[in-house]
Amino acid sequence: MNPVIPILAGAVATAIVRLLPFYASWLDRLPPFLSKSLRLLPIAALGPLIFPAVILDYTPTWWAGLIGIAAASAVAWRKNGMIIPILLSILITWAILALPF
Amino acid sequence: MGRTLTWKQGCQEGLPIFIGYFPTAIAFGLLCRDLGLKAWHAVLFSATNFAGSGQFLAASLMGSGALLIELFISVLLINMRYTFMGAELARKLDDDLSWWQRPIIAHGTTDEVFSVAVLHPAPLPKGYLFALEATSYLGWVSGTAVGFLIGMILPPSLQLAVGVTLYALFTVLLTQQTRQKGAMVLLVAGISAAIHTILTVVFSFAVGWSFVISMLSATIIGALIIDEEVAQ
Repeated sequence: MNPVIPILAGAVATAIVRLLPFYASWLDRLPPFLSKSLRLLPIAALGPLIFPAVILDYTPTWWAGLIGIAAASAVAWRKNGMIIPILLSILITWAILALPF
Repeated sequence: MGRTLTWKQGCQEGLPIFIGYFPTAIAFGLLCRDLGLKAWHAVLFSATNFAGSGQFLAASLMGSGALLIELFISVLLINMRYTFMGAELARKLDDDLSWWQRPIIAHGTTDEVFSVAVLHPAPLPKGYLFALEATSYLGWVSGTAVGFLIGMILPPSLQLAVGVTLYALFTVLLTQQTRQKGAMVLLVAGISAAIHTILTVVFSFAVGWSFVISMLSATIIGALIIDEEVAQ
């Protein structure tokens, strides 16, 4: 398949959810359970975005990415901001992958 | 906060977002290269989608040969949070946007833009919001192009390590959410991760459908057990 098609499919899906609030005022009147579920969706998305790929991507050194994100999480727990934890995770993962075993 | 926000202030406040997006977009550029896409495909991806996690998901689904409908639904669900952010931004904007300005402002809704813009009391001038969004957008699109290009010179081990950026980004978001809202957040993400792992690794489910099933199941379980305040 021409890669432009899935790229534009993603763009259309994203455009729909972004444009909706600028045209639809009924969004403020959703039933509470539905509204709460929709707010939890992005949190639920984070789990499968990380696992199991962070382990499978680095097999056989499967722990490399895992230790990298653990370091990112430890820094993010203490400080706001994304740059330092992300750079640290790259550095640690790289160091582990460069180890001679 | 009494004075009116200007487009210049929008650019200034967008600069940290630009800096934050740049390395993540580099990782996205590298991923596109790994998938065998061309440089203009990668730039088109970032320019038309402008959605970090949604793009990484779409790209990995493309790599796994997922169906177009799997990709469409997965991206729609993962980006659904923009609907709520956009609703809040639309409420705070100072005057009515014309028909051609709405899609432009809407296209710039991201987690980071939202979290910076909502700190200001209403009304938000559209010039300020546009400048904030445009600066962030520039960081994302230019970072993607740079990532694709440096893929030619980075050693393979470092390219593999840069790939962890994606997981680190999501881990940082999860950590921040957990810190703000408590351990229930971790429970919801953990349930969806466990379902996704079992479906894909044990039962060899297609990644796209597994993603949708695990996300929706964990969301419903979470909505049943979590208080309204935590979900806010």
